Amino acid sequence: MLMSCIKKAVPLLAGLWSLGALAGTYNLVIGEQPLEIDGQAKTAMTINGGIPGPTLRFKEGEDVTINVTNNLDVDSSIHWHGLLLPYTQDGVPGISYPGIRPGETFTYRFPIVQAGTYWYHSHSGFQEQEGVYGAIAIEPAKREPFRYDREYVVMLSDWSAETGEQIFSNLKGQSDYYNYSQQTLGGFLDDVKRNGFTATLRDRLDWGSMRMMPTDIADVSGYSFLVNGKSTDDNWTGLFEPGERVRLRFINGSAMTYFDVRIPGLKMTVVQADGNNVQPVSVDEFRIAVAETYDVIVQPKHERAFSVLAESVDRSGFARGTLAPRDGMKLALPDLRERPLLTMADMSMASMGGMDHGSMDHSAMGHASAQPQAMDHAAMGHAPAQPQAMDHAAMGHAPAQPQAMDHSAMGHAPAQPQAMDHSAMGHAPAQPQAMDHSTMAGMTETDADYASGSGLAPSAANGGKFLAYGDLKAMTPYADYRAPDREIELRLTGNMERYFWSINGTKFSDAEPIRLTYGERVRLRFVNDTMMMHPMHLHGMWQQLDKGNGRFNPLKHVVNVAPNTTLTVDVPVDALGEWAFHCHLMYHMASGMFRKVIVEPPATSAAQM
Amino acid sequence: MRFTTSIALALALATSAPLAIAAEGHGHAHHGSSPIGQPGTAAEATRTVEVTLYDMYYEPESIAVKSGETVRFVIKNSGELLHEFNIGTAAMHEKHQAQMQLMMDHGMLTPTGVNHEMAHMDHSAMPGMEGLAHQDPNSVLVEPGATVELAWTFPGDAQLEFACNMPGHYGAGMVGEITLD
Amino acid sequence: MSRSIYTNAQQGLFLAILGFTASMPVAADMQDDAWRTKFVLDRLENRRDDGEDLRVWEAQLNVRSDYQGMALKIDGERPEGGPTESAEYQLLYQRLVSEFFDAQFGVRYDDRPEPSRTYAVAGLQGLAPYWFEIDTNLYLSDEGDVSASFEAEYDLLLTQRLVLQPAAELNVAFSDDEEIGVGSGLSSAELGLRLRYELHRKFAPYVGVNWEKKFGDTADFARDDGEDTESTTFLLGVSAWF
Repeated sequence: MLMSCIKKAVPLLAGLWSLGALAGTYNLVIGEQPLEIDGQAKTAMTINGGIPGPTLRFKEGEDVTINVTNNLDVDSSIHWHGLLLPYTQDGVPGISYPGIRPGETFTYRFPIVQAGTYWYHSHSGFQEQEGVYGAIAIEPAKREPFRYDREYVVMLSDWSAETGEQIFSNLKGQSDYYNYSQQTLGGFLDDVKRNGFTATLRDRLDWGSMRMMPTDIADVSGYSFLVNGKSTDDNWTGLFEPGERVRLRFINGSAMTYFDVRIPGLKMTVVQADGNNVQPVSVDEFRIAVAETYDVIVQPKHERAFSVLAESVDRSGFARGTLAPRDGMKLALPDLRERPLLTMADMSMASMGGMDHGSMDHSAMGHASAQPQAMDHAAMGHAPAQPQAMDHAAMGHAPAQPQAMDHSAMGHAPAQPQAMDHSAMGHAPAQPQAMDHSTMAGMTETDADYASGSGLAPSAANGGKFLAYGDLKAMTPYADYRAPDREIELRLTGNMERYFWSINGTKFSDAEPIRLTYGERVRLRFVNDTMMMHPMHLHGMWQQLDKGNGRFNPLKHVVNVAPNTTLTVDVPVDALGEWAFHCHLMYHMASGMFRKVIVEPPATSAAQM
Repeated sequence: MRFTTSIALALALATSAPLAIAAEGHGHAHHGSSPIGQPGTAAEATRTVEVTLYDMYYEPESIAVKSGETVRFVIKNSGELLHEFNIGTAAMHEKHQAQMQLMMDHGMLTPTGVNHEMAHMDHSAMPGMEGLAHQDPNSVLVEPGATVELAWTFPGDAQLEFACNMPGHYGAGMVGEITLD
Repeated sequence: MSRSIYTNAQQGLFLAILGFTASMPVAADMQDDAWRTKFVLDRLENRRDDGEDLRVWEAQLNVRSDYQGMALKIDGERPEGGPTESAEYQLLYQRLVSEFFDAQFGVRYDDRPEPSRTYAVAGLQGLAPYWFEIDTNLYLSDEGDVSASFEAEYDLLLTQRLVLQPAAELNVAFSDDEEIGVGSGLSSAELGLRLRYELHRKFAPYVGVNWEKKFGDTADFARDDGEDTESTTFLLGVSAWF
């Protein structure tokens, strides 16, 4: 009798014990210390003495308690980027809570209700630029749906000897302060040789008339780029045994820098984006916007070193790490690719029309770039070019000819063969039931990630597959996929010359909060009227990226909106409270590209209370 | 002729019928010389192994068989996506992945299923599409919710894997080891 | 992801917490409305003409937010060893009126050896299409005389750091003010060409040449005073901002 009681109690106690194990306490201390990385020294801000801070490993279902102590002499904060939590725990001073005063400790408590790769960072001042960031890896409650033998966090970041305040002040003083790749007389003469005098002059006049620079790719340069806090020389190394599968959790913790990531010699299978599992897609290279995360699995089979290369989009440098069978192995860095130039396709009609010279000769602009029609499409809200126009008979079907038909330029994601016209092949178009027709709902939007003819559109260094947003399909279909209840248009705007950024022409300090109602599904339509990419981040709720994959549209916390394009996301409004919503480029956010989002209970339930 | 088999396969998938057709299409030519083994029949099978396909893994993740043994596999797809159960060497899987990619690109396969209408079309005349048909006897495609059977006679010795060659799936680790005693 | 664990518990607390947060400073860390100070020393140069040295300066202090603020403009000339010939101070309120231009209103005080003048000022300053820096103003003096000035500069990048800057200034008076030597019509014009090397974004030494000429009645007044009406000078200087 007694024994049977004990036998019964054992599993019960074990159950209690395992519950106890799912309640971890973590301690983070934000401090200040002199630090030199890559020859650039400054008084950095660290977490637990390091940059980045410790990787927090949680388990889905865990109730976490995190004590964050601020040893700075200014206010600080930690925001859990991408985590779903009560808004009072979200860590945005002035919205979630007042912040953490010098010398004080704030205790965060929230349940972990998701799995995947995320990160955390200060949401105060420019502290993230100074080093206050770290990775979060959450183990799922069930098994990982992938097989891999080991995993590494690959946290990318930009490091400067200047403080964030200095950088911001420099940009405010002179918006092209950091641009040492401007067009010069020498470049003019080169272009004259190549394109002729008239065309070159016209190009310069076209840009000059708008007071915009085609060289304006990144606002800030002079950065050293880091992998897990290490410079290319310090060479962060992840070890592997040949034949092992290695999961790499890429996190872009930069203040301002987008990277194009590749591992020459290895295909990367992208399995997760922004913490959410996606249907695996094998790529040669991908672009990671500021604050995005991508998990990839690689399988190095040979006993040699492989460089993990993250090349900044302005081609000013690499963040480099190495996968190697032993420590101390290193390959030579390849040459940087040519710095991209913006084209007229990256210039929206709205921003042109917004200027005080209505007499501008638009017809002249077509001469400057190869793709004048690009301006018509995205800026004027036309549906993308009809893929039906594609002639399959003429295409030739060898697998490796991406150039022969530029899918992205045609305005649909590559993975939508159903949109193609097979009638040219001599049979009637098929309407098979096995296809997911829900994907067709999204076809009205521009499916290419960049404006047609954009100077920013990437291509893989080895000529292979470059990940596009359309390739990201959720691993499991979204249960509550439905038409949005309403749509909010958000024009991404700014004053490049004076260096302030805004949404719908209004800075944060002048704007009313965006009010959403709990339970509704809201479509956000981003229209980028500026010439820069903006990684738009919504706190507390997902943005379901609509690239035409219907219920497989992936859930993201950051979406990159390219110049002169429209991007739509659907937000399931499922978290009450006040949330931050902003461009994740630090100096865009700081200068006004920011909104407070208030999620209120539906009127009826409010009345009941 | 080759393509007819593939239609049969597709139809078999559509009805979730046990997939004996592929094997029958190739007859019972027990040459015994294939490095990976050859199709068997359920009647020959000494035992049944149940394999469940999830997004993006197998259960079990490794299977032990005896040399020369015929095994009846009952393969159930409990995921939301289309998966394959393919017995072969790593090199064969790699080659097959390129074909599967092509079938995806041409709409014969979608992430969630087989495009049965497309499978009826004669793509073989199109450049680059020769032999593009999912007809190999060592492989079955299993649509979400479907259960399919495959009988296989294993060789004496080989380095074999069972794998899903749907684009990206192998790379994500949807592959298991077959150990031969 | 199931969020139901929060919803009920939170709804009850929601309004109370909302009331609490409403009393917080709104996003205390946002700097998007901060007033910032920028001091631009556009020119500090020595002009040499027939062995005589003339020190010339032109500077502007902005204290402003993105949309509005104050500007203090200081221009002056002083021969080496001699008293200051002219010093012009303008204190202006400025407001962004288009993407690239500020409207400016305020007062100008000319500190000169002889009669000084005070003016009301209205102007526009900003970046015109094709990258011309423009500063144009209309003045009404305490004597009731109306005049105008127009300045333009253009930066031609020879390299990323070596910049050739042509500059022009025109002054127009709508009536005579003989006491200060200004005659009606185009009174004076100035053309400069400066080659600067940006040692740092914020600091650049330069060499250049400057030509100025007085016209019409203004030229006559100058001749009456025994002054030159035209001069070409070589110059050496520095520009800086912070």
